[in-house]
Amino acid sequence: MQTKNPDIKKTKFTLLEKIYLPEILKGLWYTFKQMFAPNFTFRYPDVRWNPIAAFRGRPVLVERDDKAGERCVACGLCARVCPPMAISMQAVETELEQERHPLTFEINMLRCIYCGYCEEVCPEEAIVMSKEYDITYFSRESAIMDKQKLLVPAESVKDRLDFLRKFKNDIRKESDQVANVQP
Amino acid sequence: MPELILEKPLAELLPVPSGALVEKQLKTEEMVLNMGPQHPSTHGVLRVELLTDGEVVSKATPYLGYLHRCFEKHAEALDYPMIIPYTDRMDYIASMNNDLAFCLAVEKLMKLEVPRRTEFMRVIVVELNRIASHLVAIGTYGLDIGAFTPLLFTFRDREHILSLLEWLCGARMLYNYIWVGGTSHDFPPKFKERVGEFVRYFKPKADEIYRLLTNNEIFIQRTRGIGVLPADVAINYGCSGPMLRGSGVKWDLRRDDPYSVYPELEFDVVVPTADECVIGDCLARHIVRAKEIYESLKIIEQCLDKMPEVENFDPQAAVPKRVKPPKGDVYGRAENPRGELGFYIISEGNTKPFRVKARSSCFVNLSTLPELAKGQLISDVVAIIGSIDIVLGEIDR
Ligand code: SF4
Ligand code: SF4
Repeated sequence: MQTKNPDIKKTKFTLLEKIYLPEILKGLWYTFKQMFAPNFTFRYPDVRWNPIAAFRGRPVLVERDDKAGERCVACGLCARVCPPMAISMQAVETELEQERHPLTFEINMLRCIYCGYCEEVCPEEAIVMSKEYDITYFSRESAIMDKQKLLVPAESVKDRLDFLRKFKNDIRKESDQVANVQP
Repeated sequence: MPELILEKPLAELLPVPSGALVEKQLKTEEMVLNMGPQHPSTHGVLRVELLTDGEVVSKATPYLGYLHRCFEKHAEALDYPMIIPYTDRMDYIASMNNDLAFCLAVEKLMKLEVPRRTEFMRVIVVELNRIASHLVAIGTYGLDIGAFTPLLFTFRDREHILSLLEWLCGARMLYNYIWVGGTSHDFPPKFKERVGEFVRYFKPKADEIYRLLTNNEIFIQRTRGIGVLPADVAINYGCSGPMLRGSGVKWDLRRDDPYSVYPELEFDVVVPTADECVIGDCLARHIVRAKEIYESLKIIEQCLDKMPEVENFDPQAAVPKRVKPPKGDVYGRAENPRGELGFYIISEGNTKPFRVKARSSCFVNLSTLPELAKGQLISDVVAIIGSIDIVLGEIDR
């Protein structure tokens, strides 16, 4: 169904283009070339995608270096800043030098929007965004992750901790010092 | 059914824009046809109720709300920084632009100065995101009309942008990168070079993508002269973005109500010319989008040159510890890939806004659909909806 618009200029074709066959060959040649071009897709899940350190995946709790529990001091900042209110915790005192730790710590992964604010505010680098991205559940209950599920050793999120030190926290500290020096 | 006796061949009768002639000559029983909410060409969950007379649409009514997530109500219960991830989710194809619009509004209210480097960083990411958004628009528009190839091309190149932005802030679509007073991260080392590389790589590809659809005879036949929106109607409806520029109105907030560092940058406001399309039709809107990609590339190049280098730059240095604007109200707006996105914020002097109203470009642009679709064929309604380039996340909020 064609609407007639006489005032529109038609594209001018050369004779070669009007014959049409060379154009078809050109198209086929283009397609043929693509067969040897490098792939820009990969066969997930046979080939796993390994995200970079900057990637914001599932938030996890980091274990203390001496493996005596989590680094978290249950200050509640992350629960306060979480936009969809996904984090809930209960603080108790502990024998360790950190004095407080969470008795329960839950992140409702159905609510979490992977914004990264919890990691941003945490004073202890105790909650960081891991590289896990394919998170699925069979029930709503299993989507609420408790402390056992959240706790990971510090080595497994080493990339992210290094990234945070290099690009966020250290720069922040330096500029804080500069700010303190200047009256 | 009574036999129809036509004075002329059907093909000459049908494309009458108002449908008046068609109505007179071959009126059949009207039928209500629901298009969507699962229809692939409604770009999400839009339901359009079509009142059809044979193949001709006599009335089209869009029904919204399937993706309503109470953004405005949520915003009243959240601190200002916590609203930013939610603005990401409005127009999820161009999240950076949404963040920028919201942050501009809050910064205007707080009279906050943003470091110059941050301004350039913001413009670069916003323009990258604009290209990505236009690539989706062009690719899916081809898909709507029946051309599958452009989608693969555009998504291939969009992938490069997404990985750049992922490297920058850790997310591929919902960035949460632009914050009130700054950004969440500085550019990583070598990021600027990579963006420059991308621009050089992408320029020939942009030509390719431009030619792929705009020179395609089938595509032109499907879009030329379809859904013509005259400039006065477009202005009366309050359209913005490529929709308005497609109608020949030179209006771009980056030029007409400049924000950030746009006054220092050189770029053209793209309007279609009459020798490539009918002004205001689907093809014109498509051409505007395709050409705007070049303008964005131009802007990025200039920004890369002008961006000041700062040792140990802290992008969050100007981010206030508590975002607590004074009492008052403000309307901040920015040019989204789809038009003017504005946030009207009323502050009572608390850390939470009293009211946030989002003026979304897609919503206003979609309101022209009944006007555009009237008297067109059903298959052309698909072309029209595609050319409006809606994102339902922003319409329903
Ligand atoms: S990533 Fe965001 S939404 Fe998820 S737990 Fe952390 S603060 Fe909450
Ligand atoms: S902010 Fe860090 S230390 Fe504080 S409760 Fe959350 S995880 Fe624990």
